[in-house]
Order: sequence, then C-alpha cells, then structure tokens
Amino acid sequence: MIPTGETQSLSFRLNGQPLAVEVPPATSLLDLLRGPGGLTSVRAGCRIGRCGACTVLLDGRSVPACLVPAWRLEGRRVDTVEGLARDPHYQAVASALTWESALQCGYCTPGIVLSLVSCLRNETEPDRDRLAEALAGNLCRCTGYGGLRRALERLAPGRPRASHFSDPSDPTPGGSS
Amino acid sequence: MIPDTDLPVQTLGTDRQREHWWVGPETARRVAGRTPYATDVPPLDGLLHGAVLRCGVAHARVVSLDVRGARAMPGVRAVVTAEDVPGTNGFGIVLRDQPVLCRDRVRFEGDAVAAVAADTPEQARAALAAIEVTYEPLPIVGDALSAAEAWPLHEGGNLLAEHTLRRGELDAALARCALVVEQDYRTPRQMHAFMETEGGVAIPDGRGGLCVQVGCQSGHRDRLQLADILGLAPEQVTIRAVATGGAFGGKDELTVQPIAGLLALRTGRPVRLQLDRFESCRSGIKRHPVVARVTTGCDRDGRLLAHRVDAVLDTGAYASLGPAVLENYLDHATAPLYRIEAYQVHGRLLYTNNGVAGAFRGFGGNQATFAVESQMDALAARLGLTPVEFRRRNLRRPGEPGSRGQPVRWTRPPAELLHLAARSPLWRPSPGEDPRWLEGTGLAMGGQGNGLGDGLPDAGGGRLSLSPEGRIRVEFGFVDYGQNLTELVIRRVSEALPCAPEDIDVVLGRSDGPDSGPTSASRSTVVVDQVLRAVLPGWARRLCAEAARRAGLPPEALVCGPGGIWSRTPKRRLCRYRELAASLGPVPAEHRGDFPVAPGPTPPVGRFLQLLIATVARVAVDRLSGRVRVQALHHITAAGRVIHPPGYLGQIEGAAVMGLGMTLTEDMPTDDGRYRFDNLDQYLIPTLQDAPEQRVDVLDDTPADADYPVRGVGELGIEAVAPAIVAAIEAACGVRVRHLPVDPDRLLAALRDTEHPV
Repeated sequence: MIPTGETQSLSFRLNGQPLAVEVPPATSLLDLLRGPGGLTSVRAGCRIGRCGACTVLLDGRSVPACLVPAWRLEGRRVDTVEGLARDPHYQAVASALTWESALQCGYCTPGIVLSLVSCLRNETEPDRDRLAEALAGNLCRCTGYGGLRRALERLAPGRPRASHFSDPSDPTPGGSS
Repeated sequence: MIPDTDLPVQTLGTDRQREHWWVGPETARRVAGRTPYATDVPPLDGLLHGAVLRCGVAHARVVSLDVRGARAMPGVRAVVTAEDVPGTNGFGIVLRDQPVLCRDRVRFEGDAVAAVAADTPEQARAALAAIEVTYEPLPIVGDALSAAEAWPLHEGGNLLAEHTLRRGELDAALARCALVVEQDYRTPRQMHAFMETEGGVAIPDGRGGLCVQVGCQSGHRDRLQLADILGLAPEQVTIRAVATGGAFGGKDELTVQPIAGLLALRTGRPVRLQLDRFESCRSGIKRHPVVARVTTGCDRDGRLLAHRVDAVLDTGAYASLGPAVLENYLDHATAPLYRIEAYQVHGRLLYTNNGVAGAFRGFGGNQATFAVESQMDALAARLGLTPVEFRRRNLRRPGEPGSRGQPVRWTRPPAELLHLAARSPLWRPSPGEDPRWLEGTGLAMGGQGNGLGDGLPDAGGGRLSLSPEGRIRVEFGFVDYGQNLTELVIRRVSEALPCAPEDIDVVLGRSDGPDSGPTSASRSTVVVDQVLRAVLPGWARRLCAEAARRAGLPPEALVCGPGGIWSRTPKRRLCRYRELAASLGPVPAEHRGDFPVAPGPTPPVGRFLQLLIATVARVAVDRLSGRVRVQALHHITAAGRVIHPPGYLGQIEGAAVMGLGMTLTEDMPTDDGRYRFDNLDQYLIPTLQDAPEQRVDVLDDTPADADYPVRGVGELGIEAVAPAIVAAIEAACGVRVRHLPVDPDRLLAALRDTEHPV
C-alpha cells in the first residue's frame, strides 16, 4: 500500500452488512478485510493477483482482493466464505471439497471455494472443464489437485471423463479395473 | 484391480475404498475458512508490526549501519541490529552459523541487517527505508563446483562437509563390467512455495519471557534455539505452532521467530511479523541443487557390479540442515533397492552466495534417485533389456540387508511393486491421432526410510488424558501443516480404544506439551502409532475398571465405546466419559520412546523402517514447442497399513505433483548470487491444468498388531516422479533428459536432431 496520508470515506456491503470505512483510497481490499481481528478467510499469498488465496466475490464475481483498491468499493457488494453459509452453491462446493478432502493446509481453500461459487452462480450448468478453467487463478501447493478433480466430478456430474486408466474398449464407466 | 495378480492391492479413493473413507472435522473447518493461521492478524492490544531490512547484495562487508533516522520515524517503537541480540547471534539446526542480524558481513541477498517494530506495517516499512547501510562488495561465490577454491565465506573455507560411503572393491568390480555407463545429472534449486509465507506473532508474557505463535515444524527444537538467541531460559519461551499454510521442510529451520522475539522483548508488546512473497523468495531456504557424475556398470547378463557417484551440493550461505541432507543424498545414491557388488558414493557440500538451501520434502533422496533410476534405464537400453527386466534382475529381496549392510524392514518385496508397475494400464499404446504430440510411458522405483536415521537422537512422545468435560485429549508436539495429522490421530484412537471420533480432541504443536520431536523425516505417523500402542490398552483398562467398580460388574465385561464405557452384553452404555472424569480426574498417560531402529546389537546405520514406491508416468511431448505434458501418474506404494485413506492419497498425489514441478518448471536460478525470480508469476508451480490424472495403489495386508504396521508417507510420492517422467519423455521422443527442470528449447533442439521437423 502507498501511504498517501489522505483518506477517503467509503461505504459498501460486506457479507450483507453495510460497512463504512475511512481509508487511504489505494488501500487494497485484502488489507482492508484483514485488519486486526478482521476476516481471516481472505489470505495473502503473492499480492500480485497470481495465487488466488485472497479471492473474494465483488458483486458476485470472483476477484483477487489484493488487486482491488479501496476506492473501487463505493456502493458495491463484497462476499467471503464467512457470509455464504446459506448459499446453495456454497453449500454444494463446501460439501464436495470436504467429502473429497480436496485440501491439506487449507490456506488456499476459501479462495478456491469462491472461484467455484462464482462460476456456478454466473454460468448455466458449467461442466467440469469450465469449473477447472475457473480455477486457473488458484494455486494449491499441497494436494496436487487430486481431491479437487474428484470434487469437480461431484459438482458437475455427467459423462465419465476419458481416463488414461480405463480401457477404451471397456464400456463400463472408468473401466473394469 | 490390476489384472494377472493375486497380490493384496487396492486403489485408493475408488468406490470400493469408500467404506474406509473418513474425513475429519478439521477439514470442514478449513473449507469454511474458520481455522486460525499463524499469519492472521490477532486482535491483541498494542500489537506492533515488524519489518526486516534485507541486505539485497550477495556478498559484502558492512562498512556502516546507521539506524538513527529510522528510530525518529513516526510510529516506530524499536529498531534493532546485531548489537541488540542478547544471546547467541546465530541459528541453524546443525550449525549456528546464520546470524539473526548481520554485524559486519552479509553472505546472501536475504541476510538481515536490521529490523523495525512500528504501530502500522506501513510505518515499519517506511522506517526501513530510512536506515542507512554502506556495503563494500566482496567477491561472489556463485558456483558450487568451484566454491572450494573461492573466497571463503566462513572460517574453515567453503567445503562444509564431505563424505564417502563405500562397499566392496570398486576398481576391481568396474574392471569386470561388460558395460559401463557414465553420465552427468543436475537437479534444480526448487522452492517450497508454501501458500502461507513465513510468519507469526511474538507475545511477551510480562515476566521477561514470551510466547511465539508461528508457522513452524518443531516447537520444542525452535524453543531451544530461540531461548539461546534471546538470552532466556528455555522455560521462558513457549512456541505455539498454530495451523501452518504448508511447510514441506521450508519451515523446519527458524524463520521469523528470532527477529519477532527480539522486537517483542525490546518493546514489551506483541509483534507480528510476516515475510511477503518477495522477501520469502529472497530469504527463505530452498532445495539443494545437485550436480553429480554417476558411473554404473554391469555384467553381460545385466547384473549390477559397480556404481560410483561424485556429487556436489550447493548449500548456499549457511549450513541449516545441509549436512543431514548430504547424508540422505548419499544414502539414496547407493541405489538402495539394488544389489550392487561394489559402490563408492562421494559427496561434497559447499557454501556459496546462492541463498540458503535446507530441508525440503525428499531431503536429498529424490535428487539421488533421479540419477540412480536414470542409470538403470541407460544400462537396460544398452543391453537391449526392458527397464522392467533389468530392474527385476537386480532388485533386493526381503531379508537381505540394506545397501549399507544395515537391517531394513520393508512391508512388501520390491519385486512386487515392479510386477504391478509393469502391468499398469498406462503402458497401453495410445491411439496417437495427433502428430503434434508424441506420447510415451516410463517407470521408476524409489525407496525411502522413516525417521532421522543414522543413529541420531530421535525420540518422540505423546500424552493421553481426560478433560473435565469428558473429552479424550490426545497431545503431540507435532505440527499439522496440512498433512492430516489431526485426522490420523483421531482415526487411530477411535479405532483402537475404541470410541467415537467426536469424543476426541487432538492438541498439537505446543512446546509446553509433550515433545514428539520434529515434524519431519516422515516420522510423525510412526511416532503416533508407537505412542498410542504403548498407552491405549492400559488407559482403556483404567477407565473400564472405574466404570466396573461403579456398576458393580467385572471389568472384563466392559469396553470403551462411543461417548463412554459400554457393557459387552447386552451392548449398552453404562457411563459417560464425563462421569469418569469427575471421579478419576484427568487419568494422564504418557509415553516417550526412541524411533524404531533395527533390533539387536547392530549400531544404527541409515534407516530401518523402509517404504517403497513405483511410479509409472505417461507423457505427451509437443513437437512444436518442446513442452511436456504429464497426462497420468500411476503409483504403486508399499508403506504398511493405511490409517486415513484421504490423507495417504493426498500425500502421494501432492508430493508427486511437487516432483512434477521440479522436473518440468521449477528452479530458482541465481545470477551472481542473486535470485532471478521473486514471486509466483515467474517461479511457476503446477496449476490444476498442469496436474495429471493420478492413481494410487496400495500394496498391503499388514495386520494391525504387527511390530511396525505403519509408515509415514509424507515424502514417498516425490521419490520416483522425476526419473519416471524423463523415462516417459525418452519413450515418447527418444531424447533422455539429465538436467532438470526439462528445458523445452533444449528438448526441441534435441528432437530436431533425431527426427524430421513437423
């Protein structure tokens, strides 16, 4: 953040609640959300918009919070996993990720959840490939993405994916092995 | 299942496996973002923010350092330099040769010279800019191969360690070889790239001591180092290892603890310090790059006779765990899975100005296995044998000693894994419709040991007790940085006691709790198993005896169960754990024991508890760009019983993709001792799109009551990935890559030499 000395009054909605802040306009949304005692699900990883650990929903679409300056927030809506408990897309994503154990350290996970929620919310029945594309900006260093792939199959069921492990001449899904 | 086999093999994560699939409460908490991490900003009164001035030069004398301007900056509460370190100004698990704050000399660009605590992070950073330092450049030692003769970075010169392992008469064996292959291998300076950078909070306790909440791997060991640096008694320092966003060895060494602690003691206020990604890249440890010349020979039947390795490991400016990494590299370089008449494995560990290298998943072993397995393929090809047949002729059998003459305990014979790997579906020829992509399949094998090994002190303990609320409290000193250790403990206790998973609280990572030893060397699972086997039966008997006394029944008629103590027949709960806690108190039971080594009088050499993997890789090479896509990885593992299937699967898959990154994209090159990259836009770790389809098979039928029923699998998955991928690349396009990561331009050039361009 560039200390400018000058601050700006802003109001926006965070997880459904109106919020008024007085901050330097160049403050990143990431720093704004993570103040002392603030939200902890929005996490700093790279601060250049590459890793996705700080992903939030801005007016319902996923963005890296580290690249959103505070001045852009006026009148807008910011959502994080803390505010989505009753959202059906969130519930579907969270239960698929949990059941498939699609995480280890979990630091990147809320960001992954929000990228998926954004895709499910804004697109009509996205298939697995589309959901995977929606995760292009989310890095995970622990899992090798295996659990995540399995979770995507749960979220977008359909024709079994062509597998290198199944015999192409075998009609049963996933092969007889 | 894999056809043509009666072996006890199962594929993890398939429908058939799902009845054993169990996901613990911690996973749901992490999905919901409710788990606190070390770098959260805690709501503490008077919290200050720390920042560290890194020198930014590879090698220099510090001529002057003036912090007066910084002290006068707004919001600044303390500025510290080397003068302010009350105890030993040095840290390092093996040698304390890395200054907390450098006094008169800096040896890599991430060396710290001063640090600030201020009211806001911005004020702290602004104050750093006001510190004036002048450096006088010194010659840069940028190449490990010539470092021994270069400007000495430490007293005693740049050769930090040198070791040779030998068996048999190498020259005589070499003379008898019908075929000898000699090749050079290089592996990269891989970065851990954990998603949560190094960080934590140091909180003064008001009595001269402090508590540090930090992402780390060994609270007890950190405490000893930290107390020594801060001039405190160990009891005055408490480490709380809260959830850590990935470590992989990169937080085994001290990171922010010394400077955060120093600033907290100096100001009497809590100080939060987190490295940003730039600072983490420049100052954090990396994997040791290795350059090795390997000479391996066999007779005309393909029986291995002689094997020589000459390796140089670049440990960077300070030792950290380098000497231990060298030992493990050499151990793996002896080609432990294969019977070889004679070997001589020689390695040198050199100081340079290239950052600092230390612990990283695989710990030198996977660098060695890359060279060893590549040599096996080279000999097989020259002899006209398949890679499978060549290995089959040389694999060790159960009951034989290990490569260093030590007793080893595998859970299955290596030949069984080879047998299964040879039958992997990934060997099926592909339709190969697109002429742009050349496809191929390759395999490699790897072995690995659990524990610190080589007779190093390696004790670990844990504690069991009952809370006043009747919760079964299980404590270990280990850190859960995502390896599903919490789930493993819950699973193991709930099965063995038995009780419901919901009855258990797992408490980890407190230096004032039981000392389990470091969370490293794939040792936690084994320690957990050993401790629980020692304490659970007696503990269950004590609870049942009390319940029996209350119910007026014989103790044999009762068992532990969900929520409390049950009668066997009729199956009925007689009392709750809470009621037992009220009458018995906490019923503490503790066990501490040495990590298992070979029974008998043999002095420990290498590692006793061993585990195995065979990895089959399927790749596609792009004839236009020279890029390699790994389509699928098939792992066959033998590591004892699987306690927590999602955890086991995740460890193998995660380590394998980390190994894929090291093979294809990951390296932190240095120019004149300075890193070329400083964030994740340049240093490329695999994304979901780069990650292959994977299958993990487990070969096991170990009974729960076997002597050593489990192994830790945190590092197993990385062991054989790199050589399997380069073998598959060779099968696809005829080019064997020996320098990692694979350089697409060089691969393309080599491709053009071997075929007509597309």
